[in-house]
Amino acid sequence: MSFDLPKMIESKRAYRHKLATLPIAEKLCILDALRGRELAIRGSQPSSVVREEPDPPRPSSP
Amino acid sequence: MKVQDVLVMLNQLEDNGIIARYAIGGAVGATFYLEPVSTLDVDVFIAFKSERGSALVSPLPIFDYLKQLGCKMEGEYIVIGGWPVQFLPADPPLLAEALAQAVESDVEGTPARVFTAEHLAAIALQTGRAKDKARLLQFIETGALDSERFQAIIARHELVDVWKKFERQLLSDDENAPS
Repeated sequence: MSFDLPKMIESKRAYRHKLATLPIAEKLCILDALRGRELAIRGSQPSSVVREEPDPPRPSSP
Repeated sequence: MKVQDVLVMLNQLEDNGIIARYAIGGAVGATFYLEPVSTLDVDVFIAFKSERGSALVSPLPIFDYLKQLGCKMEGEYIVIGGWPVQFLPADPPLLAEALAQAVESDVEGTPARVFTAEHLAAIALQTGRAKDKARLLQFIETGALDSERFQAIIARHELVDVWKKFERQLLSDDENAPS
């Protein structure tokens, strides 16, 4: 453990790179787990579908 | 709850002629190139087939087929393997090109057709929400983009000005930015 910020940033970058280069099957398993966790955090839902909030309306460009 | 079940079902839909061609986009598509990021649904882009005698295109044959296999409709989604899946028409030119040029990947013996990294990045640039910009940054930081291909796509689809604005806002000090 270090509080050296540049080292921490480099370590994060290396970890993200490691995750990105995992075999795709493993990455898809991680997606399954992440979704399960997100649903648990959001609490019990009446449906398995959790909708994202729609974007706010944008002003139309001239 | 397995996203790989979705891949199996998509191939089945294509093999049985229910859909002509599919490609995965969105966060699940991006996961083929980047680190996995939490997402709640699967975006599947397809060329809708028109029903006989009708000029209109309809997703109904897909829903009918999947319902026969026990999948449930929930609003605009159909739930496959516990994952809500949204079938989206690849009509706008950028999406149509992304579908035509999508690449096949092998997931433990299951084929999966996915948008190229460059098309996913261009779509994120065009869509332009905060999470899309974050995804585009991920593509750049990871070095997942072929700069020449990406630049050609954004030029073809009139996104050069949007890209320049994105560069000014978020990449002015980034040495990884595709120039």
